[in-house]
Amino acid sequence: MLKVLDRLEEFLIAFLIAGATLLIFVAVGHRYALDLSAKFHFDAIYDALFKINLAWAQELCIYMFVWMAKFGAAYGVRTGIHVGVDVLVNKLPPRWRLVSILFGLLAGAFFTGVVGTMGAKFVFDMAHTDQTSPDLEAPMWIVYLAIPLGSYLMCFRFLQVAWGFWRTGELPHHDAAHVEGVEEAGGIAPATAPVGAMR
Amino acid sequence: MSGATVTYVPMTTQRATMTVVIIAVVLLGIAALGNAGIIFALLVALMLTGMPISIALGLTVLTFLFTMTNVPIESVGLKLFTGIEKFEIMAVPFFILAGNFLTHGGVARRMIDFATSVVGHLHGGLALAGIVACAMFALVCGSSVATVVAIGSIVLPEMVRNGYPMRFGAGVITVAGSLGILMLPSIPKVIYAVATNTSIGALFVAGLFPGILLTFMLCTVTWWIARKNDYPRMQRRTWRERWIAFRRSVWGLMLVVIIIGGIYSGIFTATEAAAMAAIYSFFVSVFVYKDLKMRDVPKVLLNSANMSAMLLYIITNAVLFSFILTNENIPNTLAHWFLGENLGWVGFLLIANLMLLVAGNFMEPSSCILIMAPILYPAAVSLGINPVHLGILIDANMEVGLCHPPVGLNLYVASGISKLGITELTKAVMPWLLTMLVFLAIVTYWPELSLWLPRAMKML
Repeated sequence: MLKVLDRLEEFLIAFLIAGATLLIFVAVGHRYALDLSAKFHFDAIYDALFKINLAWAQELCIYMFVWMAKFGAAYGVRTGIHVGVDVLVNKLPPRWRLVSILFGLLAGAFFTGVVGTMGAKFVFDMAHTDQTSPDLEAPMWIVYLAIPLGSYLMCFRFLQVAWGFWRTGELPHHDAAHVEGVEEAGGIAPATAPVGAMR
Repeated sequence: MSGATVTYVPMTTQRATMTVVIIAVVLLGIAALGNAGIIFALLVALMLTGMPISIALGLTVLTFLFTMTNVPIESVGLKLFTGIEKFEIMAVPFFILAGNFLTHGGVARRMIDFATSVVGHLHGGLALAGIVACAMFALVCGSSVATVVAIGSIVLPEMVRNGYPMRFGAGVITVAGSLGILMLPSIPKVIYAVATNTSIGALFVAGLFPGILLTFMLCTVTWWIARKNDYPRMQRRTWRERWIAFRRSVWGLMLVVIIIGGIYSGIFTATEAAAMAAIYSFFVSVFVYKDLKMRDVPKVLLNSANMSAMLLYIITNAVLFSFILTNENIPNTLAHWFLGENLGWVGFLLIANLMLLVAGNFMEPSSCILIMAPILYPAAVSLGINPVHLGILIDANMEVGLCHPPVGLNLYVASGISKLGITELTKAVMPWLLTMLVFLAIVTYWPELSLWLPRAMKML
């Protein structure tokens, strides 16, 4: 069950970033082709292109990224990418360090929980209006649904990491220094970098 | 930030108690200054517990909203949820995606080959090549972490194999990687542009000459150290070999034309240029250089999404935080104070630099800019400082912060690649970090260095 959630989360954010990129690419290509065909009087092409309205592309791109940001932030808790200042914490005596890190994780869960609840209330109120987005004319509450869903998921991830840390004393590590296919110099262990993360 | 290689010696309980008490006293002192003091003291206290910066920012805002103000929550509600709903900010994930494709797709490797063929025969040739390659990569990439990873993970092993001390190489690359946010496209510049409504295109090109100057200064210092220690030199290459190496790297460099040409000619906006850069670098990596297999693309996508989401999450919370600051009228109060003290622009920029250096040490660039830019901007404008100049100055300050603990991301990435501890690496970067401070002074007090090019291109 959890595995399914993990995969779904990963698929969703990878899909959203790829989709948004392609969308903007197509929209720019379309606009450029429209300009060119107008300039050189390819009327048939111009008319065909003119019928396709891509004015909503920018808006959809923003929404895709908002969704990606919310769910990606939850994924980021799991991969330990959220950076903190842990110089002091790591110098504290072990027991203090444990308490401090747990406090940080639970504070994260608390914050995302609060935001999620406020977001749910906000979305609930919005669902009773008929507000729609300017270009896509999508109901706004669906757009903003990313906030409660993403925040609650993030809250869950924080609790998950806190539980894992409590039991094993380990935190997820984000590894930004590793490049696929790049050999490591002799005597240098594979790069698992201490970047980021709540550590 | 622990990790296998970074070992911390824990303090004794007594010392820890002392430290915590001292910090608490200082923070209480700051909090006594009034609302603004309380906000900052709370933020610092939360950050020191090691929680993610985004969460610390968000919790500060929440606490403030619920206890100290009668601003209705609903009015901030929308901001709390969105804050990133601007098309300009969407350049951030696009640039990250492009940077990742360039890193994994063999663009960096070919740039290094070319740089080595040109400067490799000088004293400390590989290190110089690393700097030049960082500069070339920075022309097309908007993130300094990506630059350190892309260049460092190839150059560092190569340097060690050729008999350079690891400290030397890691020190060079850590600092040279920060060129990534100075030259042409850069994520911090996008953030600054959004925060202050400055032209993104002008900011991009304004960084070119300062970037070249910094490259030159870093190379000079490196060359001097290398000559003193007699570090190995590479064989001199023929012009023919150089031409071939250039031809191979030209696919990556073409991206400059797309980004700057596209923005300059008005074919697309900065965000669209970033999306184009992502598509183009995907195309080059997978179909031209073929260094990236199609089946690895989802992994790159996921990594980029992860990184972007982290940044966007920080941005959301930093936007909120700066909204609170504005609501408390802090930027204006500070602007009046600056003007009232009759510091002139020279004194103001000195103070601005010091504030930015301190802030840049505790926050990563995006959140730092979102908080500091609105504070500095009003005063700077009334003192007649060009917003683009201020932007480049802030950018240069962020570079210093990136190479310095406690949150210098470049440092952590370089430590990951080189397996050097943070403390050792901090010492290793010193010669170049000092160079960077000199460079910072030049950028601060020589506005034309940044402003000439955008003015010549009629972007200002």
